[in-house]
Amino acid sequence: MPLRLLRALAAVALAAAVPAHATLAIVLNSGDESLSIVDTATFREVARRPVGKEPHHLMKTPDDRYLIVANAASNELVFLDPATGNEVRRLANISDPYQIGFSPDQKWFVSASNRLDRIDVYDAKDFRLVKRFPAPKVPSHIAFDQASRFAFVTLQESDEVVAIDLAAMEIAWKMKTGRQPAGIWMTPDDRHLLVGITGDKFVEVIDWRERRLAKKLLTGQGAHNFMPLGDGRHVLLSNRVANTVSVIDQQTLEVKESFPVPGGPDDMEVSRDGRQLWVTSRWARQVVVVDLGSKRIIATIPVGKSPHGIFLKDHAPRR
Amino acid sequence: MIDWAERAFGSLHQWVFEGIVLPAAGGLGLSGYAEHLFDGTELFLIGVLQLALLLALVRPLEAWRPVERWADRHAVRADVVYTLLNRLGLVPLVVFFALRPAVDGLDGWLRMHGFVPPNLEDWFPWLRAHPLAAFLVYLAVLDLAEYWRHRLQHRLGWWWQLHALHHSQRQMSLWTDDRNHFLDDLIARGWFAVVALAIGVPPAHFVAALVVTQLVESLSHANVRLSFGRIGERLLVSPRFHRMHHAIGAGHEGPARGCNFAQLFPVWDVLFGTARFDAAYHPTGIRDQLAGRDYGEGVIRQQWLGLKRLFGLDRGSRPAPRAA
Repeated sequence: MPLRLLRALAAVALAAAVPAHATLAIVLNSGDESLSIVDTATFREVARRPVGKEPHHLMKTPDDRYLIVANAASNELVFLDPATGNEVRRLANISDPYQIGFSPDQKWFVSASNRLDRIDVYDAKDFRLVKRFPAPKVPSHIAFDQASRFAFVTLQESDEVVAIDLAAMEIAWKMKTGRQPAGIWMTPDDRHLLVGITGDKFVEVIDWRERRLAKKLLTGQGAHNFMPLGDGRHVLLSNRVANTVSVIDQQTLEVKESFPVPGGPDDMEVSRDGRQLWVTSRWARQVVVVDLGSKRIIATIPVGKSPHGIFLKDHAPRR
Repeated sequence: MIDWAERAFGSLHQWVFEGIVLPAAGGLGLSGYAEHLFDGTELFLIGVLQLALLLALVRPLEAWRPVERWADRHAVRADVVYTLLNRLGLVPLVVFFALRPAVDGLDGWLRMHGFVPPNLEDWFPWLRAHPLAAFLVYLAVLDLAEYWRHRLQHRLGWWWQLHALHHSQRQMSLWTDDRNHFLDDLIARGWFAVVALAIGVPPAHFVAALVVTQLVESLSHANVRLSFGRIGERLLVSPRFHRMHHAIGAGHEGPARGCNFAQLFPVWDVLFGTARFDAAYHPTGIRDQLAGRDYGEGVIRQQWLGLKRLFGLDRGSRPAPRAA
């Protein structure tokens, strides 16, 4: 709405240079075409910058040099300096990049085109399009096996997981899931895929080699997205409707606990020391910071509309 | 102030969504569609605010300086229904579900054939860092497209048979903007969506452009003696300017099948030779209504007669009126 545009303009005027030594969080305001830069020491938004249309997700390049923001509606990737959030370059002609991911061998860059039912595989070296797969309906999140043989993508509106054989560059198989699978995560032992069933309240544990459902983990309504705790054992899951985050033990494949996080918790980050959880509240225009020891909310930081992806400069290991 | 208003709206949006919409969706097994419902809730609330704004600001203007005083406002009722159906989201919802597969299908097909639709920012990168300027450029381009859509509505005989419903209101008021045949709505929004796709309108701009256009259009249809002055009349469509577009004997006749087609910016009419800046406030309607042609009074009959006209089944149905 017009107010939002005026707000964005005002934010540009306010945007101050962020000192490189500051610890920062970068939040993608998917409904505002902007990103927020938050000082993690003061829990305050220090800048808001236009970034592009529908920025949903972001990730570091495998060499850790850049942070890539995927602008779904502007068909481009924006490369940021992860230390400052400053733009380094833009890469056009990346069709509708919603979720993105590099294969572990760093050979492939996979982009799920959520709106247009496509999964695109690019050469990770030069982002040259290698293959475009029709993938109805609504491809969403991406995971890989450790050998980088397969990319697994949830199909949110056809209730499936699709496996793309990256060696043969063909669709290997599809498997039915519960209603509206979204987040997908490979356990460290490379044996199971965890799938957040957003249309329901559980995680499906899939033995992907056998292509069978091994187990269901009851978490909370709107089971949505994963982020590892960083200890190599636990992974966090946001339950977007229940307004909780669940802790899943990846060895025992059990839910250890769930704790409240308000406002539609979506994407998450864990601080390097493992003490803080940063969560975007999709419905509330805010980021919530939770003390992982006490599970209490220690900060609520106003940001832009429909905050989605989040990145901490000093984040925990992705394991 | 802007910050406060945005936060207040954001809080209201969250409260309605999490307090009412999401629980109801959960009961219906639709909570997986939360993102769509979240956006839909925003559009509904914007509609409610729009209606509040119209009642608080434009309706008093109509009462203060009306062009026409009506003893009986019966004919306005159907327009109120159209406005509620449109602004509170029912018509846009149906149109969205009708159009989305086609528009996304076209977009997806283009990409499978190696064509990624460009954005205006690809040609003018400066716009990326200037949201307000970008918004105004997108608004101008969309308004130009709307101008030509409106020209075609008057030029093409079949389209006029649908669009005539909009012009058949002889008690034109702030409610008249949404008085359209639903097929006309579908085509118009399809046109808007394809143009938006072609130039890469950002989602937030899409909503903002719609809101700005709707508010100006409600005002421009109002039954109020209001001109924006010699310069202002050329910058933004006023009630006086748009009334000429609805005038019997002027608004739908002549070589261009009418005048003053612009929705926001009269500059398009000036550029393409269809502007009339007469000072007079004329009665509104279509000439054949003076000879007794019936366009219907209630919504259902109006829709039915529109279909009959479209297929040439309405007795006395004829192409768009020619020059007087």
